[in-house]
Amino acid sequence: MAAIIRLSSVCRAGVKPLFYQSTLLARPAVVLHKEHLQPHWLTARIHSSQPLYAGSDSKASLHWTAERVLSIALLALGPVAYFSPGPVIDYSLAAALTLHGHWGIGQVLTDYVHGDTKIKMANAGLFLLSTVTFAGLCYFNYNDVGICKAVALLWSK
Amino acid sequence: MSVFCLSRSMIGFRNSGMMVMVRYAQTAVAPAPEPRMKKFQIYRWDPDTPGDKPRMQTYEVDLNNCGPMVLDALIKIKNEIDPTLTFRRSCREGICGSCAMNINGGNTLACLNKIDANTSKPTKIYPLPHMYVVKDLVPDMSNFYAQYKSIEPYLKKKDESQEGKKQYFQSVEDRQKLDGLYECILCACCSTSCPSYWWNGDKYLGPAVLMQAYRWMIDSRDEFTEERLSKLQDPFSLYRCHTIMNCTKTCPKGLNPGKAIAEIKKMMATYKERKAASA
Repeated sequence: MAAIIRLSSVCRAGVKPLFYQSTLLARPAVVLHKEHLQPHWLTARIHSSQPLYAGSDSKASLHWTAERVLSIALLALGPVAYFSPGPVIDYSLAAALTLHGHWGIGQVLTDYVHGDTKIKMANAGLFLLSTVTFAGLCYFNYNDVGICKAVALLWSK
Repeated sequence: MSVFCLSRSMIGFRNSGMMVMVRYAQTAVAPAPEPRMKKFQIYRWDPDTPGDKPRMQTYEVDLNNCGPMVLDALIKIKNEIDPTLTFRRSCREGICGSCAMNINGGNTLACLNKIDANTSKPTKIYPLPHMYVVKDLVPDMSNFYAQYKSIEPYLKKKDESQEGKKQYFQSVEDRQKLDGLYECILCACCSTSCPSYWWNGDKYLGPAVLMQAYRWMIDSRDEFTEERLSKLQDPFSLYRCHTIMNCTKTCPKGLNPGKAIAEIKKMMATYKERKAASA
């Protein structure tokens, strides 16, 4: 008898909160995100699906802006390198070209490489490639004629 | 009086008799129209037949007794040749977006696409590319609709206590900003023509949905522009667009989703500054 009473009290204690938890009954998208953040959602009961990515920082748009700025800077660097070649332009070209290629190939990888481990491997490979490229260009600038002169030499003969 | 009436009716009778003769002569002179048999190769796949593989099935339709549009031919085939042919259609005048399909290599609405009169070449009809197929020409649109839902395509106000009390007025100029955006019928022709949407359709929103996102961002009555923009702050939702412009090229309503996406990108680059300036 005592066991039955104990069992029923357990049931009541166990079952009641289970049904009072509104999170179990309501759509999780609404309950978790909207109700405690925006109380007016109670008046406008529109069920929206979850945002695909809860991105709050402006990293993606900054990256886009940086890409545009770099592209325009590269357009300007061409004539500047032609009219006033020198070590400063050599190293800027090395950095700008490498970064431009790095971001460009990065976009291609984001488009076509799917799967967590594959993306990590691809990005590591790209980072290695860009590092080697930049180091190679810097080595060429330091120990050889430099990028501007090297391009000019293509026309000299 | 009665004589006059009689003579009038006589004239009338003789006139109509002559007209009949003339018309008879015309039809007799005109040669019998030669049948213009046009081949339609249509993608067929039936999930209810176990082991059925997608195949192309060819139908021949006489263009002389068929309407001018591809949808007319499809309906004729379904009515008269093969009732198992499955496709979506509703308004037959380009306002519902149901009959979006790939006709001769381009996404368009079957009801707005004229049948190519060149009968030597068959017309090839596929479902919208890179979509899951439900049956024959019917694609599964659930992902597309879920993405549309995710951008919250409705007017949002910070203070909803005033809701329904008075109209939200809009200047003529502000209303004009919505022209070229609100006409979208969500047929998904543009999104399914976009290679970025083919490869990343699960994470990239696609041109149709992004254009509607832009439509609500620039609505002068909407107060959640910053929030709408910050929702796109990830590498996939917006930035998978590489300005390929297939969307604008294919849109059967003549809209420009590519431009709308470019405008969003510009707003994304500047909206933080505007927020700081207003605060």
